[in-house]
Amino acid sequence: MINIKINGQPIQAEPGKTILQVAKEHDVHIPSLCYHKDLNPTGNCRMCVVDVKGGRTLQAACVTPVWEGMEIETNTEKVMQDRKLTLELMLANHPQDCLTCDVAGDCELQDLAYEYKAEVPAWGAKGTRYAVDSDPNPFIRVDMNKCILCRRCESACAEIQVRDVWGVSSRGFDSVMVAGAGVPMLEARCESCGQCVAYCPTGALSNKMNYGVARAHQVRKVTTTCSYCGVGCQFDLQVKDNKVIGVHSNPNAPVNGMALCVKGRYGYDYIHHPDRLVKPKVRRYLLEGKQKSDIRETIFDTRKSNIELSNVGSPWAWVETEWDKALDIVAKKVAETRAKFGADSMGFLTSAKCLNEENYLMNKLARQVIGTNNIDHCARL
Amino acid sequence: MTNKHIVHKPIPPEIQECADKHGGSRETALEVLKEIQTLHSALTADSVTDAARALKLPPHHLYGMATFYSMLSFEERKKVLRVCDGPVCWLKRASGQSSVTSDQLVSEWQNKIGNDFSVERTSCLGLCDRAPAVLVDDEQAGPVDVRDAKKVCEGWRGVPTDYSKPRKGEARVMMSLAGKIDPDSIEDALANGVYEGLKNAIRKTPDEVISEVEVSGLQGRGGAGFPVGRKWRFVASEKRTPRYIICNADESEPLIFKDRVLMDTNPHQLIEGITIAGYACGASEAWIYIRGEYEYQARRLENATEQAKSKNLLGENVLGSGFSFNIHVHRGAGAYICGEETALIESLEGKRGEPRLRPPYPPQFGFRGQPTAVNNVETFCAVPHILKNGAEWWKSLSNYTTPGTKMYMVLGHVKKPGLFEAPFGLTLRQVIEEFGGGMVKGSKFKFALCGGAAGTISGKSILDVPIDYSSAQKGVSLGAGAFLICDQSVSAVAMLRELLHFFAAESCGKCTPCRVGTWRALEILDRMTAGKGQKGDVDELKTLADLMQVSSFCGLGQSVAIPMKSALALFGEEFEQK
Amino acid sequence: MSNSMDDVAKYAQAFFIIGSNTTEQHPVFGTMLRRAVRFRGAKLVVADPRKIDITEFATLHLRQKPGTDIALLNGLMYIILEKGWEDKTFIEERTENFDEFKATVMQYPPEKVAEITRVPVEQLYEAAEILASSKPTAVLWAMGITQHIVGVRNVMDLANFQMLLGNMGKPGGGVNPLRGQNNVQGACDMGGLPNVYPAYQPVTSNEVIEKFGKAWGTYERGKKKEESDSFIFHLSSKVGLTVTEMIPGIPEGKIKSLYILGEDPVMSDPDTNHIRHCLESVDFLVLQEIFPSETSAYADVLLPGVSFAEKTGTFTNTERRVQMVRRAVEPPGDAKPDWWITSEIAKRVLFHLSSFDEGKGERRRIDLEAPWAKWDYKDTSAIMDEINALAPSYGGITHARLEAEERLQWPCLTVDHPGTPILHTKQFTRGKGKFMPIDHVPPAERPDDDYPMVMSTGRVLYHWHGGTMTRRSQGIMQVYNEALVEVNPDDALKLGLNGRDRVRITSRRGSIEAKAWVTERVPPGMVYANFHFPEASANELTHASLDPVAKIPEYKITAVKVELA
Repeated sequence: MINIKINGQPIQAEPGKTILQVAKEHDVHIPSLCYHKDLNPTGNCRMCVVDVKGGRTLQAACVTPVWEGMEIETNTEKVMQDRKLTLELMLANHPQDCLTCDVAGDCELQDLAYEYKAEVPAWGAKGTRYAVDSDPNPFIRVDMNKCILCRRCESACAEIQVRDVWGVSSRGFDSVMVAGAGVPMLEARCESCGQCVAYCPTGALSNKMNYGVARAHQVRKVTTTCSYCGVGCQFDLQVKDNKVIGVHSNPNAPVNGMALCVKGRYGYDYIHHPDRLVKPKVRRYLLEGKQKSDIRETIFDTRKSNIELSNVGSPWAWVETEWDKALDIVAKKVAETRAKFGADSMGFLTSAKCLNEENYLMNKLARQVIGTNNIDHCARL
Repeated sequence: MTNKHIVHKPIPPEIQECADKHGGSRETALEVLKEIQTLHSALTADSVTDAARALKLPPHHLYGMATFYSMLSFEERKKVLRVCDGPVCWLKRASGQSSVTSDQLVSEWQNKIGNDFSVERTSCLGLCDRAPAVLVDDEQAGPVDVRDAKKVCEGWRGVPTDYSKPRKGEARVMMSLAGKIDPDSIEDALANGVYEGLKNAIRKTPDEVISEVEVSGLQGRGGAGFPVGRKWRFVASEKRTPRYIICNADESEPLIFKDRVLMDTNPHQLIEGITIAGYACGASEAWIYIRGEYEYQARRLENATEQAKSKNLLGENVLGSGFSFNIHVHRGAGAYICGEETALIESLEGKRGEPRLRPPYPPQFGFRGQPTAVNNVETFCAVPHILKNGAEWWKSLSNYTTPGTKMYMVLGHVKKPGLFEAPFGLTLRQVIEEFGGGMVKGSKFKFALCGGAAGTISGKSILDVPIDYSSAQKGVSLGAGAFLICDQSVSAVAMLRELLHFFAAESCGKCTPCRVGTWRALEILDRMTAGKGQKGDVDELKTLADLMQVSSFCGLGQSVAIPMKSALALFGEEFEQK
Repeated sequence: MSNSMDDVAKYAQAFFIIGSNTTEQHPVFGTMLRRAVRFRGAKLVVADPRKIDITEFATLHLRQKPGTDIALLNGLMYIILEKGWEDKTFIEERTENFDEFKATVMQYPPEKVAEITRVPVEQLYEAAEILASSKPTAVLWAMGITQHIVGVRNVMDLANFQMLLGNMGKPGGGVNPLRGQNNVQGACDMGGLPNVYPAYQPVTSNEVIEKFGKAWGTYERGKKKEESDSFIFHLSSKVGLTVTEMIPGIPEGKIKSLYILGEDPVMSDPDTNHIRHCLESVDFLVLQEIFPSETSAYADVLLPGVSFAEKTGTFTNTERRVQMVRRAVEPPGDAKPDWWITSEIAKRVLFHLSSFDEGKGERRRIDLEAPWAKWDYKDTSAIMDEINALAPSYGGITHARLEAEERLQWPCLTVDHPGTPILHTKQFTRGKGKFMPIDHVPPAERPDDDYPMVMSTGRVLYHWHGGTMTRRSQGIMQVYNEALVEVNPDDALKLGLNGRDRVRITSRRGSIEAKAWVTERVPPGMVYANFHFPEASANELTHASLDPVAKIPEYKITAVKVELA
């Protein structure tokens, strides 16, 4: 351990850590923008500058390691003024559309502008430099006017997703983030995982599917586990008005941290698809007391079109019923089959998409209630 | 990956071939891009993507480079004529009407020969002794005026400067053979004592060589004046191998051209100095990173290394010493920032030339992450003389506290602009009067831009301050040793505008203060130059300078403030009036 | 997985991926592997006939001929033994049956293996050296290994491989099958298998039958008073049918009715035509789903279940980690949580069964006084209580602990047990690890003159299985909206595809038309198709040849012919 001072307070710090890390551990607030704890620090944005005694210049806290005897001032007038000015340089070219911006309330730039009482300069491009919503990617909305060139998207793509889609092009004031050789993201081999969106501190990269639907403070977050593959990523469902309107990374997710894949992050809209089954349905013949064996020939005659089969009058037509009715039909049929053909004449396919608890019940239903071990699921398929 | 937006097609054979030819490594990316540009007369998103696939690199990586280096282009071009818009050429062309900006001069060329050439502006070409200068494809030309355009089309390249005769008062060490030998003949060089320093060095242990350099007090000539021996010792004491030497020949700061002259007049002196450094540091390979605009000099150096190899002064087992060493010449592609040593290393590794985080410093973590000594051309050129004649001799060259000699450039409104070699501790008055032949007729000294573009703008009051690496505090910087002398006709505002024009064009864009700060400062100065200054402009310029000075990521961004602040301090009224 | 994804990604010095398209099928784990290779310098050997995405990161890519995994593994183990690279201490202390195993492996010298697998001898040596010299090496696989008639033997040979190198029971090592579905691990753990009760308690064991019999009340007490402590259990001790036996068992009269929860056999089972035929003849099919599916055309009753966003409970991931699923929105319309529906059916069936008169059929007597006999669960937490009581490895995994953000991987025996991130650290489940001698067996269906090419099947990054969910996701359909069949450029040339893009693929069982994606991902002579789109589902072509033990179909090898469409 080494001894340093932050704002006059003696502090014991672990050598090798940066000023920002040590300050955070001791609840000293230093603002940052290009820094994210998951990503390699770059020192680009210069928001985290601090005064180190003896230094010719201010030091970026995110990349400067502490050393024995270091004396750091995090909020001198000069430091505060420089941070404010740096912010204003960003804001000069940033659109002044927080009123309508999708990420307002969930924007690190906005928070800092507020914290530093930054004034938007009269000069600057104010967000007229690039086309808005410039990329055809169906999930990710790109507005480079809002980009502050922190390059977190580049780091996230390279270090988390290891896909290297994003990079910076041109130089100086003309610098701009690009996908691949300045092509649409998908052509640049983007896997649409949305990691860049998750790490973007502004509205430069945002989620297209719920653009304009709700802002951070208008949603309820529900942490849950993904329903696609066996990796078991966790994330926060964004809920508004009884609708899942988005999926956000949850940094505390045990398996995946901030990382998600395209299906997990963007494949959620099936939840509210109009095709959803909302009422129990039974075939008409069941209500009419007919036997399936009587109608099988007609219904599975391959020459009959589906349209004809679904005719209201057809014995094979679906009829919506109340739960009681449907459940009774099922229970009765099941009991009859068991009585007639024995327990092993019945098969149960449980589901690898359903809960443990539900799978347990299917197992209990087959074994306890029916008395058969004919239960399986799609593990083999 | 299966997504319908990716069209799968094989890499075009010529691109694959080009990548293979260069060995297919990331470090060759710049070469590959340059070659494809030549092949297709421009780069395209497709060819850049294909090159990236051939090199197994992310496409954004190559695209980032292709849009970073000014010599690479996505526009189809004819023969390219690059018009230097550096401050010296500007001053020369504008001759007295300083409200004319450098951009306007470029358009004049465009009007004249735009049919045959693709005319582009370029930041300083490093041909300030031949101002006004242009680059015709690879060929350096100057002095050529827009009036000479037709001649230039026909092959006229101006007249190179003759450096064979020392000026009065010069103390030539590094320049001692200038104009006296055929620079392209190693025999000539050997006959005149070049490589004697190397021979002496390999008779010593590497440690003794470093000690000799330490004792000599040689300081790096790049501008910061870091002790050379100490840097080498850092590298030599690193346990990891291989270790590397890098020669920074990316002389891109306006006003500076001394390295070009050194390479032109005696390339073997440089090869010798680098080889001694390699021996001292226990390095196995060196790269000379030379700016892309110095193609002529690059070829000259390649020729020199081949010759040195043939004489066993390079290569395996140098002169039977058991020490093996190779030198490669690597061409840049137009980026001032690559003069910053970590940006240079990044560029050499085949990336955008953006500065690295420091620490770790190059002696610990340099090229390919290995211990690396980076020194400037002039520094390496001084080394053979120290090894040949001894540290004490080097110290005896002057009575001044900073030992040895230094290359100086005096430019602008003096009678005899050009280059000379002299000890440290000269005053600006000496530079003008003794070496520059005094102010031109009718000119009165108004101010000088000292050191280079990122140096102080200094007025009369400092004319008698001895100049060295620490004199910047007194208001006059040494920098790389250049002095642009300006008379009463030159507007400080216009001069600062030209400098910011340069810095804004050359900012790498990595950090916010420099990226936006230079751009904003230029916007204000553009307006001021046009006489449309506004209330608050001067204060804003000061504030921006303060910010860039302390908050920029690298030394180049920080030093933009030096001319800004000194000009504003000295000529505040002039700025207020605009 | 014997290990956790995190420790595999963090500590493995090398990865051996065989039969897993990790970056597309387990994308987030795939990125963990990419990170390990790029930032930690871990080595990666991929054995896959296809040039799948992760081969970009591979130190070495072996493109074995489909269906030759055993020969490949034996060949690698031959080299390891030849060079003396095996972990002798591990073999000595932790395993048995080594000599018999070795005798088999010695039948696989590299030249012979190269001939069978078409992997060059030098690559075999290189792979063996990388994998043997990197300690530990983690073996990762998925359906590419298991969906063969030799699926079980493939897996056993991989276990041999890891025991031979002493990579078991260590962080960064182990045998790591990547489970496909979000809760396929849980479905297995919960007894969704024909041979085991929850936590893999065999249905054939008297003790297990007694345990569940007592818990569920499926017994009759002796009639006389002195016999009141004796029980007659009527749980079946007969191993049941697998899905790949049940459905084909319908026309044979074995199966009369099916209750299907959230599956779509028409899309996901082999030989679609035959599946359709089978489902046509079932007496009664109950399908509980969230969407109408290809299978619902055959259902008699369709019950609306709910999606993961509408219910609370747990999933178990591929590394045995049990995690909470939380209800975020109300179910649409009258849809009900699946656990509620199943409970309701159970209650009603029990009512009917107990009300049958003697003679009309077997009566089912349940002693409702037994501790876990009832079906009146108020929520899934109550179901979990029952699981805790009856499934030992889940003994300590309660909703309360999970809600308190405890991170639990089974086995977790009691409420104060911390869970088990790595299995087999001290010993294997059966004590010593047994080497199994495994021989190469050629695939069931081989190319011939009529069907000269090999088709393999699988999924792609953007879609999920039968596509029920992902085909209803707008954005995903913008990126990938129709089945693409991978065809090698050489074959495309031979076919005269020449810019046209539709092909007809035919097997002995069916035919599909799809868009061709001309790519070097597949080697010449092979095509790769998916089963996400009903209009061009690969399962129209696949066949139902099963592994004799696991009853898994050989999806990875179907003989087909490819023509211009």
